[in-house]
Amino acid sequence: MEISSLKAWEMIEKLLNKEISAEEILSSHLARIEKVEKDINAFITIDRENAIKAAKRVDEKIANGENVGILAGLPVGLKDNIMTKDLRTTCASKMLENFIPPYDATVVRMIRNNDGIILGKTNMDEFAMGGSTETSYFGNTKNPRNLDIVPGGSSGGSAAAVAANEVPVSLGSDTGGSVRQPASYCGVVGLKPTYGMVSRYGVTPMSNSLDQIGTFARDVKDAYLMLKGISGFDPLDGTSSKKAGINFSLENANLKGLKIALPIEYRDLKVTGDEEIRLLFQDALSVFEREGAIIEYVSLPHLKYALETYYIISTAEVSTNLSRLDGIRYGYRTENYETLDELYTMSRTEAFGEETKRRIMMGTYALSAGYQDEHYKKALKVRTLIKNDYDKTFKDFDVILSLTSPILPFPFDSIVNSPVDMYKADLYTVPVNLAGLCAMSLPMGEVNNLPVGLQITGNRFQEEKIIKAGYAFEKVVK
Amino acid sequence: MITKDEVNHIANIAKLKISDDEIGLFTEKFDQVMSFVQTIKEVDTENVEPTYKINDEDGFLKENGEIQTLTREEVLRNTVDTQYGYFKILKVVE
Amino acid sequence: MGYKTLIGIEIHVELMTKKKMFCNCKNEFGGDANTHVCPVCLGLPGALPVMDKEALEFSIRAGLAFNSEIEKEVRTDRKNYFYPDLTKGYQISQADLPLCKGGHLDIEIEDKVKRINLDRIHIEEDTGKQLHTEDGVSLLDFNRCGVPLIEIVTKPDINSAEEARLFLEKLRSTIKYIGISDVRMEEGSLRCDVNINVIDDERKLKTKITEVKNLNSFRSVVKAIEFEENRHRELLDKGENTDNETRRWDETLNKTAIMRRKFGASDYRFANEGDLPLIKIEDSYLEEIKNNLPELPHEKKMRFISDYSLSHYDAEVLTGSRELALFFEESYKYVGDSKLLSNWIMGDVLRRLKEEDTQIDELSITPKDLATLILMVKDGKINTNTGKKVLKDMIDTGNSPEEIVKTQGLIQISDEVELEEIVKKTLDNNPQSIEDFKNGKDRAIGFLMGQIMKETKGKANPQMVNKMLLEKINLR
Repeated sequence: MEISSLKAWEMIEKLLNKEISAEEILSSHLARIEKVEKDINAFITIDRENAIKAAKRVDEKIANGENVGILAGLPVGLKDNIMTKDLRTTCASKMLENFIPPYDATVVRMIRNNDGIILGKTNMDEFAMGGSTETSYFGNTKNPRNLDIVPGGSSGGSAAAVAANEVPVSLGSDTGGSVRQPASYCGVVGLKPTYGMVSRYGVTPMSNSLDQIGTFARDVKDAYLMLKGISGFDPLDGTSSKKAGINFSLENANLKGLKIALPIEYRDLKVTGDEEIRLLFQDALSVFEREGAIIEYVSLPHLKYALETYYIISTAEVSTNLSRLDGIRYGYRTENYETLDELYTMSRTEAFGEETKRRIMMGTYALSAGYQDEHYKKALKVRTLIKNDYDKTFKDFDVILSLTSPILPFPFDSIVNSPVDMYKADLYTVPVNLAGLCAMSLPMGEVNNLPVGLQITGNRFQEEKIIKAGYAFEKVVK
Repeated sequence: MITKDEVNHIANIAKLKISDDEIGLFTEKFDQVMSFVQTIKEVDTENVEPTYKINDEDGFLKENGEIQTLTREEVLRNTVDTQYGYFKILKVVE
Repeated sequence: MGYKTLIGIEIHVELMTKKKMFCNCKNEFGGDANTHVCPVCLGLPGALPVMDKEALEFSIRAGLAFNSEIEKEVRTDRKNYFYPDLTKGYQISQADLPLCKGGHLDIEIEDKVKRINLDRIHIEEDTGKQLHTEDGVSLLDFNRCGVPLIEIVTKPDINSAEEARLFLEKLRSTIKYIGISDVRMEEGSLRCDVNINVIDDERKLKTKITEVKNLNSFRSVVKAIEFEENRHRELLDKGENTDNETRRWDETLNKTAIMRRKFGASDYRFANEGDLPLIKIEDSYLEEIKNNLPELPHEKKMRFISDYSLSHYDAEVLTGSRELALFFEESYKYVGDSKLLSNWIMGDVLRRLKEEDTQIDELSITPKDLATLILMVKDGKINTNTGKKVLKDMIDTGNSPEEIVKTQGLIQISDEVELEEIVKKTLDNNPQSIEDFKNGKDRAIGFLMGQIMKETKGKANPQMVNKMLLEKINLR
């Protein structure tokens, strides 16, 4: 069997048993990339040379009988908004086309310290704004399950790379669903931890109060392993939590007595591909019930405002977060300028894509004099109401179940030109970020040969509950 | 309804330029998006505090933290133009 | 005429912390361009700020020293605008919830105490520096970017250039007292902008406020205020008004000129800084800082008045700087005579400091040495004039008074026999003076004294000589 078809935890097991070497693990993946990458375009940059060096070092350590980290020998894909020292990081934008960061993000340092191998930087929607990876300056990424279909976004490259076995694990960033939705579309596991669980230092921000790094893998155990390797308090990140860190055994995970809440507000929504997705969801619920879980409908009345609230808050925050991209100290600088104003305006205009510009403007508007109270501050209050709905629910329930996406993965060029339709596809994922909760999308079946994901949501710092529930469910349906 | 003038004004603040042939379509899409987010106006938020950060934890201070200072080469390596160790741009008219 | 000038001042103070406000780069003046820069202060994508403990503490000290109300929660906001010296496209500052609210500083003007109220004190970060070269190019250095600043804003309680000067002097010394900044305008660790307008109480008119920038010294502040005050008044005389504008002070032409509106400074869109959650200031932490605060200038002055029986004025001068007050108190331990000590310090010592534009701790004399000198004069070992000369030597050479007096043989001649001899000789040589004195010209004594001093190279004990002269003249 090809090493690249194994699960990550299997690769590590064999590595530690000295059945295979880190170099062999890497070459298997490099060969796989050689074969499929030209069709998928999951990567923007591949760092072959340094990956080989890193793999050799891991093998040396093992040969010397030294201890190795929990990600030993695993080739990892990193979404290209994560800073990697001396390795080009573009955020899929012309603005940073040739940007070579002089520093590592904290998560990258942690991967290195855990002996993981940084293989390359994956494709994404420009500056993480989008749901299909169609706004990248470096071209589209294709869904490995169907090359005419989008992989989802904004972390489409990371999801596709894992789905195509180009890497066993990868990292993405999730602001409103950008890890969970592409995981659902590509048929892999996508895990978004609680806000503050993973350091944001070195990750180009979209929205400071919503962003978190998430992990992709082909099963729950791998996704959990990757999360373990990167979570923890970081004194360089002011929003990092002192409670960060996870460590528990999956051994006795089961669904007996698990109290599951289903939002009534989602039950009656009309969505495309409606009937078949709904049937799939019902099947999944039956599995839970059969295994002893208790399911109930609950009302979370403010969920219906989640999308609007999310778009006001996230665009307001991204509009200031991207102000530093002005072509002066780094990044694209226009040649068409004679005044300072032109230097700023033309650099930004020439280097940013349409969606990026649109969201910066939305955010600028939301924060501008005279509108801030009406838009931004109002949205922050509605956010409190949404958070309260969840807090109330989690008092009596362990997890919340829903679909990850209201629609099936769609063909290229179908909704990218209609921003509002694109935004509406985030329906089930955005409220999770608004309340800072943890959530995981895992495959639950197919409709028209297209993957459909199930979303398990848990309260803040309750990763153990959702991961165990996902693991148990996965075991049953296998 | 958002007007082209308002769109241009916001673009100005954000240091972006929407060209004359793009402004029509851009304004249309922008208007759709802004209308989309209007619904939260109907929510009753009397006596509700805004949530700026989701964690209940207080902020923390730094003391004896890790030095992150870069070498000058690292600082200047990604810019287009330098001179004598400085970043270089055209003169600012004041 | 009923005109009244209203002046408000905005002061920026660079805090002398070890590290920058939001990152761990060194906070150091000077240094080669762009060598104290990191991803955070350079504004690289993904870099995040974390607030410095020392900077917060220094800021709280300022609030306590100026009697402000200290906010229990530290909230920061983004002030959004574009400018080349601003690396993130926003400055982390404080909008609605400044660290310190209110506060005041008292100044003494014309023997009365006047209170200048503060509006607020808030924390923020400094920007980088721009240099303009001849060939139309701007060079940027970000060493200064991210250095901690406090911004102090007064209410428009200042009514004259003199009051402004006194206020700034007091502000400066208070800040130095609490050890949070070296407040040197020449180095940029103290900067100020002035807001000024004039009101006419009689006609119920007031001019529009002018903001004045580019003030590089206290002198410039004084001159600029005087200039603007005049300009406003002249316009009012003519029945005209000023415009709401920003002007810059021109040091060479000695006038203000309109400044072009700053690029990018329109709508700041103040919004909460999402990367810095609220920091709580516990009461115990506040207490700790209060207890560690050095004695404040006003407290020290009051103590000097009572402990050393000094006048208000003398105490004000002697506590003008922390170093001077320390010098006084150290010296007092050996001298024990506060009146004498204060006279010497306020006279000769301060005069010398002013001449050379130096601070007391840069002088090479120690408090003990000064005390020794004073005691030597008090005990009559040397006379006052000699004492002043010795002091000068002490400052010039750094030698002790004992050494100088010994080397130069300056011990006062107080031997009666020796003095009698000299007095007699002088009187013998100057019969005309005796004649003059007897005819009512008292100045003659001064002349004779001068001759004796010349003869003895200034070492004669003046009191004794004077007594002897009068006795002997009356006998002749």
